[in-house]
Amino acid sequence: MSGSLLITRAGPLTTIQDAGRFGMLAHGISASGPMDRAAYDLAGRLAMAPPGTIEITTAGLDFRVETGPCVLGFAGGAFTVRHNGSLFEWPGKLALKSGDTISVSPGPSGNYGYLRFDGRIDVPAIMGSIATNSRARLGGLEGRVLAAGDRLRLIDGFAPELSPAPAGIVEGPIRVVWGLHADLFPTVRDRFVSTPFKISSRLDRMGVRLEDPAGVFASSTILSLVSDAVLPGDIQILGDGTPIVLMRDHQPTGGYPRIATIITADLDRFAQMRPGSAVAFASVSVDHAHHLLRGQP
Amino acid sequence: MIMASDANTLVQPTIMPLGDGALLVRFGDTLSEAANSAAIAFARSLADVPLAGVVESVPNLVSVLLRYDPRSVQLAQLSGEVRLRLYARDDAALPPAAHHAIAVTFGGEAGPDLDAVASSLRLTPEAFVTAHNASALRVLATGFAPGFVYCGFHPPELQLPRRAEVRASVPAGSVLFAAGQTAIAATAIPTGWHVIGTTTFRNFDPQATPPTRMRAGDAISFEPAP
Repeated sequence: MSGSLLITRAGPLTTIQDAGRFGMLAHGISASGPMDRAAYDLAGRLAMAPPGTIEITTAGLDFRVETGPCVLGFAGGAFTVRHNGSLFEWPGKLALKSGDTISVSPGPSGNYGYLRFDGRIDVPAIMGSIATNSRARLGGLEGRVLAAGDRLRLIDGFAPELSPAPAGIVEGPIRVVWGLHADLFPTVRDRFVSTPFKISSRLDRMGVRLEDPAGVFASSTILSLVSDAVLPGDIQILGDGTPIVLMRDHQPTGGYPRIATIITADLDRFAQMRPGSAVAFASVSVDHAHHLLRGQP
Repeated sequence: MIMASDANTLVQPTIMPLGDGALLVRFGDTLSEAANSAAIAFARSLADVPLAGVVESVPNLVSVLLRYDPRSVQLAQLSGEVRLRLYARDDAALPPAAHHAIAVTFGGEAGPDLDAVASSLRLTPEAFVTAHNASALRVLATGFAPGFVYCGFHPPELQLPRRAEVRASVPAGSVLFAAGQTAIAATAIPTGWHVIGTTTFRNFDPQATPPTRMRAGDAISFEPAP
């Protein structure tokens, strides 16, 4: 196939992603990839899509199909999607032809949505991946966010077989395993898992700052630590007591103490929590986190 | 405080989970010659003979990160394998490393902190540069940003803490100094380190395979740019 899309409106931080740029931590490069992996997979299943997606943020995205036809699959959060002005259900899929317009606008929930096509987005792979790393300014379209006026070509691509999605849990506390430096917070650990925090308005692909209205970390004074490996979901405490959850475009290493790490099964759900949402944490064992990944209760 | 500076002492590592997809093998809580050497040696042994189920192993300043696939390996089994490897390791078995000679333009616009650094250490800028370049350093780790390398260790008389303020951005090629180390920025980064000079060397090329040229354990020396 070959197709072409013209972006006519892009919300901030709209990026091209794929599953991620793995194996590059030794070179100082985090993997990036979708903030909500399950939604990325679902959109791909709907469109029978090869790897690659446009990851949209709450403000949404408008585009016109300059050359079609193509199939669009969309999922992630709850957005509002219009095809040539008519409303369609989200998540879902649509067959598009030349001249069609798609408008995605904010819906009731979620921070990230995924648009996937039955053609491959024709941007160069950097270190084996087209994922945009917003911190290192790599991948995607010239390492940057998408903007109105950008054209994306769709070319032939192979859709991989996907294993069935494990049923996600949509409610309850966000589960964590205790982190690298949990022992440095002996008096705070109990309060960390019994006190609600709030998602602040300062969130992006690198990290989500939390509000700590109860002042759980207000009096934490931790000396600087030797810089060590960071992974998505790590909850680090800044010098002023602000907790930050590090996300897909995280620094590869960091020197702030980390009290806990969000488990893989709950990281997508956390990424979709909007500013102002209350968030509670619960600690589980690594073995329990693995059971959840294998689809066991 | 006792610095574990005797490289012949076998450092006792700890194995801890980092989330539900990685183990971190730590050879110390503070940065020392011994902990760093042990981390580099262990990472190399994992690169030479990989462990089943491990998808990525990464040396850090005092640790090695092992990312694994929880669908293909059990945590208890992997921890056991790691323990066996640690038991059999030999920290002294580091093969000879590559050597990098880096030409640096010290001071001036590209090294705005050089004079302040020298005066804090009660040296003239020229004497500081000479002392800095006389240190036999090695690459301690890559981290923080693409191709960013930490190099150490300078002798105790060249120890200086970081700046109180962070610069929002310093350009690629900036040569940085703090905490007994010299670091080289391969991309534009924010930093609280002292900026003492600049180099045309870039330890990051996204089009190259591999994208960085320096590896932890490589020897590195600095010299004035002609």
